[in-house]
Amino acid sequence: MILARHADALFWVGRYLERTEATVRCLDYAANSIIHLRSDEARVEIEQLVKTLGLESVAAPLGSVAGRRQLFAFLLSDTANPGSVLSAVSAVRERLRSTRERIPIELWEEANGLYLRFREFGDTELPPDRLHETLLMVRRACLAISGVLNEGMRRDEGYEFIVLGRMIERSVFTVGLLTASYSDPRGTVDATRILRLTSSLQAYHRRYGHAPDPEGVVRYLLAGTDLPRSLQSCLLRAEGSLAGISALDRSRRRAGLLRARLELGEIEEAMAQEPLPVLSELHWDLAELASEIAAGVVPPLGFPTASSRYLRPGGTQPLAGGRPVRLDP
Amino acid sequence: MADSLPKPGGGLLDGYEPGRGFDEAFESDGSARSVYRRIVERFGELDADEARRLERLVADEFRRQGITFTVYSEEEGTERIWPIDLFPRLISALEWDELERGLTQRVAALNCFLADLYSGEGAAIADGIVPRWLVVSSGGFERNAMGIAVPHGAHCNIAGIDVVRDDAGRYRVLEDNLRNPSGISYVIENRAAMAKACSWLFYDHAVQPVEQYGRMLRSALESMAPGGQESPHVVVLTPGIFNAAYFEHAFLARSMGVELVEGRDLVVDDGAVYARTIEGLIAVDVIYRRIDDAFLDPVAFRPDSTLGVPGLLGALRAGTVSVCNALGNGVADDKAVYPYVPDLIRYYLGDEPIIDNVFTYVMWDPDQRAEALGRLDELVVKPVGESGGYGVLIGPHASDEELEAARRAIDADPRNWIVQEVVQLSSLPSFTQERLEPRHVDLRPFVLTGERTEVFPGGLTRVAMRRGSLIVNSSQGGGSKDTWVLTPEYS
Repeated sequence: MILARHADALFWVGRYLERTEATVRCLDYAANSIIHLRSDEARVEIEQLVKTLGLESVAAPLGSVAGRRQLFAFLLSDTANPGSVLSAVSAVRERLRSTRERIPIELWEEANGLYLRFREFGDTELPPDRLHETLLMVRRACLAISGVLNEGMRRDEGYEFIVLGRMIERSVFTVGLLTASYSDPRGTVDATRILRLTSSLQAYHRRYGHAPDPEGVVRYLLAGTDLPRSLQSCLLRAEGSLAGISALDRSRRRAGLLRARLELGEIEEAMAQEPLPVLSELHWDLAELASEIAAGVVPPLGFPTASSRYLRPGGTQPLAGGRPVRLDP
Repeated sequence: MADSLPKPGGGLLDGYEPGRGFDEAFESDGSARSVYRRIVERFGELDADEARRLERLVADEFRRQGITFTVYSEEEGTERIWPIDLFPRLISALEWDELERGLTQRVAALNCFLADLYSGEGAAIADGIVPRWLVVSSGGFERNAMGIAVPHGAHCNIAGIDVVRDDAGRYRVLEDNLRNPSGISYVIENRAAMAKACSWLFYDHAVQPVEQYGRMLRSALESMAPGGQESPHVVVLTPGIFNAAYFEHAFLARSMGVELVEGRDLVVDDGAVYARTIEGLIAVDVIYRRIDDAFLDPVAFRPDSTLGVPGLLGALRAGTVSVCNALGNGVADDKAVYPYVPDLIRYYLGDEPIIDNVFTYVMWDPDQRAEALGRLDELVVKPVGESGGYGVLIGPHASDEELEAARRAIDADPRNWIVQEVVQLSSLPSFTQERLEPRHVDLRPFVLTGERTEVFPGGLTRVAMRRGSLIVNSSQGGGSKDTWVLTPEYS
């Protein structure tokens, strides 16, 4: 049994955790790559990263995120940016705090510790020489959190909702990255960059043993069965989590259909013709899946009506005739 | 027999002078009381640097776990790390036995009083033990609770009884807390932190464990299920993450293995309470609520409450759910009713109180009022409707203007005040960042009642951080101490 409010909070814990990791990867990549670029090149790279993270609409009203220092501040500690690492870490902490009784103590301690270490910087801008140290600290904390989740958390609905959130967010990031790469104003799809931004370069080399080419990389990121970040792997895990949640049966079918299309090569085939429309459709499908999960989780508002579902032995039935029978949670 | 006071060179206890009133650790001649002898020796071996290091270890542990409390009087409500002093309070098995019996007796009488009152019988009132006008004028008296069936007559399922020790070392009850007493989570976390940072302190003692509280509480709450059903669905109801005691609410739900719900997670339909889950609505049998009566049900009480559950009172009346502590307990822990508790013990149980009250003047009695007003500068003035130490005036520390203002306030509304003799709270060595000095302490033991009554070993020892201060409330800058109840062979 899981409260609808808890399910919603833990789903978003998963999403924000994954978002934290993705943003840190982008920052890490930017910190290493931008130093080799001219300022006009750096500007394009920065715009691409902001686009990959889906933050164009947030960045635009804030003015220029053109410089590298602004980019780091914007992605790392800007509380006005809901996608910054600090915002995501705060969101994780807040949601874990409101579900504290059902998560492992260590999970809360790690998330709270990460937040407190971040707050130590206060409102001052992070000194550039501490960027790597900070990114390393966040990465390690994320790994510790993943460790507690995998090894210390009961495999109940709460766990499945965290996994579900992570898989959805990871899929959205991968598709966002591919979309940004295929619409790169520099006119080329940088396969190595894509692999670096998904921490998949080493895996790709081990699997294929040759220099990455765009088609191969896209194929690997969409349907690589040995890559935990591939879209197919993410959907498979999401399906697994959804299998234990009967209220989200419809979402499980949607995830399954999407995965089957990847598995059968249908999407890869279409990508070879016109990549951008296919990616756009994938993005749409994932957004639909996410909102369907959210709608299935959100508690009904106000008083129950005749259509409210009561838990009865044998499954859920509409309220009609007689009192609902209690079922031990 | 007391042993001689160890005088280790450079130790934290060098130059220690027992405080005013009863010093729990030392005899008046400066020698350590036998129960504290080994702890005193251990602290004599510490220096200030080491003690500061240990304190930091404990504070870091609390910070990491987010063990904080909120001080509302400060701007915007500040989150503070829970303060704990390293020097523990020790209670011998013999002493504990008496306390345990006294507390059980007191809570039993208070439960009898509430059951008597809200069943509509009102025997204690009819027999003149407590004045009717006093009861019905109490802010804690809840007419809506009349006639609601409470399993086992257990209205106070979780009681926190504040006790102090007078000059002679006798325990006395200072205050009853029968609505939503908080602090138990800090008792357990204090022990966990002390065991990590100062495990060596425990080596010479056998201390009763405290981690069983969740099991005890769950069993008491389960026994409150309507109809005595097996495996009832228990939840903890919290106002939410912005409440000062949210940490405790989450702690309790976790240690019992039950859900922590907010008002919006529950719904009442057809006279029963349900939790909104992703699978639909699931019936709830017992609600351990950490929300005051007035906010529980916006239909029956404050309509502006967004914390409660609309229709909950109806479900209570229908007998489909139990709310713990019961509705309307505030009448029994009203400070104006407190002076009558010893008589209630005699009336319901036929026994003499094992733990006395602090001597209290009731201001609605003209003779007692005249006597108290004549020597207000020697007494403590308390408003009956406040808690947490707010509004308390300590006569010997008050200015003439403050005393005059108190006199006027008492004359204007005698029902609203009680006046007590100053109890020079007992003291214990406490770390001042340089050395150990005496600081005043009180004790809040917790008494759980369901089908039967159990006293949780120890309780929350609160300590005043300033020398000579009698204010121990954490909201007013007080700290806490780990409280050890020793097993018989070590006492």
